[in-house]
Amino acid sequence: MSNPVRPKLAAIVTACFKYSHAQHIVDRLLDGYGWNGTHHYPPMDLVSLYVDQVGSNDLSRERASRHSGMRIYPTIAEALTSGGNKLAVDGVVVVGEHGNYPRNEKGQTKYPRYEFFEQVVKVFRDSGRAVPVFNDKHLSWNWEWARKMYDTSREMGFAFMAGSSLPVTWRTPSVEMPLGARIGEALCVCYGGVDSYDFHGLETVQCMVERRSGGETGVEWIQAYRGDKFWEALGQGVWPKPLMDAALCRSHTLAPARPGFNHVFPAVDDMRRLVRDPVAYRYQHADGLKCTVLLMNGLVRDFNFAAYVNGRSEPWSTQMYLPMPDGRTTLASFFSPLVNHCETMYLTGKAAYPVERTLLTTGLTAAGVESLFRGQTRYDTPHLAIRYQPAKESTFWRT
Amino acid sequence: MLTRRGFLQTATLAAAAPASRPKRIAILATVYRPLSHAQHMGDRFLTGYPYGGAWHKPDMKVVSLYVDQKPEGDLSGDRAREFGFQVYPTIAEALRCGGGKLAVDAVLIIAEHGNYPRNEKGQTLYPRYEFFEQCIRVFEQDGRAVPVYNDKHLSYSFEKAKTMVQASRRLRFPMLAGSSLPVTWRLPPIDLPFGCRIEEALMVGEGGSDAMDFHALEGLQCMVERRSGGEAGVKAVQLLEGDAVWKAGDEGRYSKVLLTSALSRSDTPLGLTVEDGRTQDLVASGQLQNLAKKPAAYFIEYRDGLKATMLMLDGAIKDFNFAARLSGVPQIQATQFLLTPEPNVSYSACLMHKVEEMIEAGAAPYPVDRTLLVSGMLESCLTSKLQDHAPLETPHLNVAYKAPQRSQFAQA
Repeated sequence: MSNPVRPKLAAIVTACFKYSHAQHIVDRLLDGYGWNGTHHYPPMDLVSLYVDQVGSNDLSRERASRHSGMRIYPTIAEALTSGGNKLAVDGVVVVGEHGNYPRNEKGQTKYPRYEFFEQVVKVFRDSGRAVPVFNDKHLSWNWEWARKMYDTSREMGFAFMAGSSLPVTWRTPSVEMPLGARIGEALCVCYGGVDSYDFHGLETVQCMVERRSGGETGVEWIQAYRGDKFWEALGQGVWPKPLMDAALCRSHTLAPARPGFNHVFPAVDDMRRLVRDPVAYRYQHADGLKCTVLLMNGLVRDFNFAAYVNGRSEPWSTQMYLPMPDGRTTLASFFSPLVNHCETMYLTGKAAYPVERTLLTTGLTAAGVESLFRGQTRYDTPHLAIRYQPAKESTFWRT
Repeated sequence: MLTRRGFLQTATLAAAAPASRPKRIAILATVYRPLSHAQHMGDRFLTGYPYGGAWHKPDMKVVSLYVDQKPEGDLSGDRAREFGFQVYPTIAEALRCGGGKLAVDAVLIIAEHGNYPRNEKGQTLYPRYEFFEQCIRVFEQDGRAVPVYNDKHLSYSFEKAKTMVQASRRLRFPMLAGSSLPVTWRLPPIDLPFGCRIEEALMVGEGGSDAMDFHALEGLQCMVERRSGGEAGVKAVQLLEGDAVWKAGDEGRYSKVLLTSALSRSDTPLGLTVEDGRTQDLVASGQLQNLAKKPAAYFIEYRDGLKATMLMLDGAIKDFNFAARLSGVPQIQATQFLLTPEPNVSYSACLMHKVEEMIEAGAAPYPVDRTLLVSGMLESCLTSKLQDHAPLETPHLNVAYKAPQRSQFAQA
């Protein structure tokens, strides 16, 4: 892909410290990263940076001192205009993850992604020009705001991409859901907290099931199960245990169920002992497909997917492999395919995969939280009637 | 003792007999303690392991165990009680399950870990050859031989390793050996095209000698053995250390482009990445030399002219990555051998699945000659180190073999 002009980018981030999302993304744009068997330097320049919270662990100043082409600005508007009065960049990356932001009564961290986005589009409007935007993770903790972000991007006609690295990272095994597959049920076993890694679990499932016959039809309802209700639901077979077992067999981090053993398959009693606060989100799509995301802290530290595909009784499964810098690695390389897709968007003006996926998973995350907040009752989601078709080409990391 | 002719007749008869289920396995281990190779591998036959998205239980039964040492944390007695087998005081008794005749269908020799002396080359003198010899004695005395898996290199000594492989040929039993690197997941999941022409190959790894350099050399070998003409053996080796490693790079003895490529697959750059999370182009920035304070380069010159280099870069990275340039292919082929984390170390399940394949099929899925050659490469490299890093001709490493065309690494 030859482009005579190097696009200029602005990064708008909440906080930039070691192993924060902003650090992973900004550093890849500035210092390059391993890609396709070489150290790849993006053919574009990150010229402006806005950091909302600069703490004692901040790295943005060190980065600016090493990269004279990048300036730090005190406001989002100045970052986008490079201190002038017109939009002066060709692409924007918004990273509203990490930093000290309040939580609401439902346990959602009020990261200012919507607020950042609004300021970005204000500059677009004032300048009469809009450029591609990448929004890290979900769109907003608040569904109405998320919907507005999506609608604005469509009204103004700029490329908009968002989401998690789960859909784009390595898979072990390296397999893709066949386009147009008939999916009976789908499930993800993963770890992490509510309004946090649950989003990654939902994106893990969605990037697979969106490829099913007919494409995505939206979600009608969701129900959360937590603690004792989780174990009851497991016992009652609310979600298929064979899918759960298959997903666990893709894990590289299965907590040993017995002392003295390194790798044994856990019985339900073992799971109950190992997992103190399990959470399940079970939801039904408009075409009837049922999906489940299981957050099982204490049992696994990875993201594993299983589904019934094309009428086969044997589960189809894989792991979305995150080389996690929690002692296992030092680099969160799963940000590399994410940044690479962003680069493609900035060069071509087209998103590599539909933002509707993340609009839906944003809504699902908020709806799951809502179901928990309402005493783990079924929560109808007529607002999630989001239909879309997936990217035909696979976009996960294979090269 | 049977004559060779008599042995072969008996062996043929034994092979013709209907296979009894489940297959009976003897494990011969140096130690069986938590996180030892014996536990990682032996337990797979006791509790099963994940394979292909299901929990797989081998249709095999461990019937006997021999452990050479019982350090603190020894699990052999607990395992025997729980899984209903016996720990025998000698290898012969383990193979005969206390009776008068060979009473197992396969043998696993897992002689890694434990307290054994080192020689002047820094090789730990694990008694793999000695364990194997005792198996051969039983096979010969009892007129029947069964498949043998030997974990890691065959022996610290190429001569002993060669004797082992010769014995397996003489007594016609399948034999598999080596590291899990060749069979674990790869990121990305690539193999070199079978019959390709390799211009140059390079491997990076880390960890001590002669434990981890063996793994790195096997990782290298399982890739290059797929080249046009098949494996031809090794003509010469040299091991360099310290600044001489960087000087060799400056002189073009290995390609810095390939080194950059291999390192681009690493998920574990150290130094500034550990400090503040940043990505690093370790070669271009010069950080590689700052981080790898005691580098070692293992130069391998093959008999067909291929030159390969394995760099041990302790302090710079913590994983194993490969890169090669093929004739007529602009894109460098590079991949990481994924060593999944403790305690699952699911890569050992990948390896045990290959052992199971051998026991079921009665044929090794890939030639033991790979491990024979790597055992010899490693020994000769360590001899070079001892002899002031002198280049050494290795006419004894004329180990030629054909790799299987079918890829053997984890993909399912």
